[in-house]
Amino acid sequence: MRKRKIKNYIGLSISTISAFIGLFFLLWIIVSLIEKGFHYVNWSVFTQNAVSPGEEGGGLKFAILGQLEVVGIASLLGIPTGILGGIYLSEYGKDSFLSNVIRNVSDAMTSIPSIIIGIFVYALVVVPMGGFSVLAGSIALALLMIPIVISSIDNMLRLVPNELREAAYALGAPKYIVIFKVVAKEAIVGIVSVILLAISRILGETAPLLFTSFNSNFESYKLNKPIATLTVTMYDYAMGPYDSWHHLAWAAAIILTFSVLLFNIASRLFSYWRFRR
Amino acid sequence: MKKKFVMIDFFLKHISMFFAYFVLLVIFGLFLVLYINSKDAINHFGFFSFITSNVWSPAFDKFGGLIALIGTFLTTVISAIIAIPIALGIAIFLVEICPNFLKTPIGIAIELLAAIPSVIYGFWGLFYLGPLIEKYVQPLFNATLAKLPIVGQYFYGYSSSVSLFTASVVLAIMIIPFTAALTRDALKITPDLLKESAYALGATKWETISKVMFRYSKGAIIGAVLISLGRAIGETMAVTFVIGNQDSLPTSLMSATTTVTATIANEFTEASSHLYLSSMYLLAFILFLLSFLLIIGSKMFFLRKVRD
Amino acid sequence: MKYICKIDGKQKIEVRNFNFYYGNKLALKDLNFCIKENTIVALIGPSGSGKTTLARCFNRMHDLYPNNRYEGEIFIDNTNILDPKIDLIELRDRVGMVFQKPTAFPMSIFENIAFGLKLKGIKNKTELKDKVEKALKDAALWDEVKDRLDKLATNLSGGQQQRLCIARAIAVDPEVLVFDESTASLDPISTSKIEDLMVELSKKLTIIAVTHNLQQAARVSEYTLFLLDGEAIEYDKTNIMFTNPKDKKTQDYIMGRFG
Repeated sequence: MRKRKIKNYIGLSISTISAFIGLFFLLWIIVSLIEKGFHYVNWSVFTQNAVSPGEEGGGLKFAILGQLEVVGIASLLGIPTGILGGIYLSEYGKDSFLSNVIRNVSDAMTSIPSIIIGIFVYALVVVPMGGFSVLAGSIALALLMIPIVISSIDNMLRLVPNELREAAYALGAPKYIVIFKVVAKEAIVGIVSVILLAISRILGETAPLLFTSFNSNFESYKLNKPIATLTVTMYDYAMGPYDSWHHLAWAAAIILTFSVLLFNIASRLFSYWRFRR
Repeated sequence: MKKKFVMIDFFLKHISMFFAYFVLLVIFGLFLVLYINSKDAINHFGFFSFITSNVWSPAFDKFGGLIALIGTFLTTVISAIIAIPIALGIAIFLVEICPNFLKTPIGIAIELLAAIPSVIYGFWGLFYLGPLIEKYVQPLFNATLAKLPIVGQYFYGYSSSVSLFTASVVLAIMIIPFTAALTRDALKITPDLLKESAYALGATKWETISKVMFRYSKGAIIGAVLISLGRAIGETMAVTFVIGNQDSLPTSLMSATTTVTATIANEFTEASSHLYLSSMYLLAFILFLLSFLLIIGSKMFFLRKVRD
Repeated sequence: MKYICKIDGKQKIEVRNFNFYYGNKLALKDLNFCIKENTIVALIGPSGSGKTTLARCFNRMHDLYPNNRYEGEIFIDNTNILDPKIDLIELRDRVGMVFQKPTAFPMSIFENIAFGLKLKGIKNKTELKDKVEKALKDAALWDEVKDRLDKLATNLSGGQQQRLCIARAIAVDPEVLVFDESTASLDPISTSKIEDLMVELSKKLTIIAVTHNLQQAARVSEYTLFLLDGEAIEYDKTNIMFTNPKDKKTQDYIMGRFG
């Protein structure tokens, strides 16, 4: 009996210790991020553009705006696609063989390395277009978003009780009204939560942008030209030799982390609100 | 009125159907694009020779995937060895040991950490962990483990904040929250009734955990581990910052080397020859196949019921 | 059962040689009966007897799901509603349904009631307001909600939500209203309110009420149809069937669950 008690004590202690080790490292990252990041974030980071390499100062304005543009367009492409696809799975395909195949494939796609998606878009968009572009970057991010949105929307709509649909049909409603005015409305809070989560997912992506929207020193927001994004800029600056670049990279790191967590937390708030209704 | 209904219904059905099938289109397209663009490298080098060749020489237009593949393999394995026990520990702690009022905050904290982009982890690794490893861990290893016969040489290294080891540790730290959250969900599916029966039979807490919960959620846990491995092998940004980006086989844990993802990230846009580019497509294709295998493996084990 | 239509009044619905299949399974066998206008018919029987299945034929709810098949005819006035050429949306205008659980839509009370009206194309704001008010009054809900028509309907109590569903269904002026165990999930007070409502409504509409509550059937209905394993065992005036059932199976069921 004593031996079992000892085993119990050891086992539980090891778990607790490893938990603290894990949590410690994670806390350390957050703390160092905040400490260094805040140190280097100031007004000029947001308002100034990059300067020539080696020069002091400069800011991330272009990179930030570029990030917003690419993510924004990706969302415009990916979210409606994902929502409509999810609607198809839940309301039309239901439990058919092919729909379940799509569900599984979609789920699998959420785990595909994002750099592969980048290469895919490179081959299909960048090469034919003859160069890097905002569009290519947005398409790459959209392709990352779509499987997440499809699965989540599908799951969310399937939770809506069937009686609600039948009651709408019983009043003479056509299918599209049942879907948009009843089912989607019932699930609207969950749908918003999904959208916010999807955005938070792609906001921090770097790899798929490396060969699609690439990077740019010239301030241009044209869809068919490359653009600077916060994530890629952060990578370039961190790997570069200049201290001023490193400082900006820290600022970028904290801005990025903050934004991603903001969307993630907002998504959770909506999700929580949903359960309280 | 009725005509309008019928028309709109028709459009909605077909447009939504197109977007649903789009996913299938993408995955087939992915496979095709990668395969077609790797064909030149495959034809030139031969698939199996490519995998086993440790030559990566843009100058001579001769390429082999062994270096990158070994890098990917080693970083994944080492990070898994570090991360999985810790993640399991966190999961067990959260499910069974943690006081109730802390469960939700810590649980949420873990999930938020899993949401942090990998580029941040890599970045932190470059500026914090790397220098620390160089300053403290390397001398420590040199003084102790490196002195061991036979295996000692694998621990030897100096003056490098970037290395296989640093990259593996960063990767480990990055996948811990994700793996912990998944394993916690996996453990949670054990019905309370089952746990209570174990306690009623006089089992200690640890015995309940190891003999009942693990056995019950075995499939889900293995699935979670496989998904984490899948994430680890495909990780780019967490690794590229700190792996050293040297196209040579690692001679020790402290060597600078490369992985499939790091090679692609660094050299894709600089590929000067057609064969160079094709070789990188081939690397990507191999990576695609590997992660796909892991995903399918995890699906077979991981009953999706855990997520709902 | 042989074809019987001995009702003492105008006929509204006639079911003739009716069979219903779920896939290959025969769920309703050889039904022949008719329903009088502006009255309440109770459908009773044990679980699985087919009463809900039959009820959902009157507005062709089964068409929503694959592999269902109707055989025979169901006439409402002189139209066979099982004809494939029938416009389902028009049918559901004439035949309304109230479900077992309250199904208030996630919108305001006003929007819930106006839902069916807007589908019919009624856009005039005054007309909508008037019809919504009338429907709520006819459903005995107006006084309770008149000051909060723009509030979310799902915040109402279960009994109120069910009356909301009734108001919603009658807002479009159906001729037939089907209640599918609509009081099963409610407390006795709400149940009795809805039973009173059914009686009042039956002055203007034909009501078919599926119920497993024999007391309820006895309280509200004029006629009763007893189903067992998809077959019609007996169909008669309620007071006759409950005091002097002609078929032994009817007797067993009623005596077993009643008194």
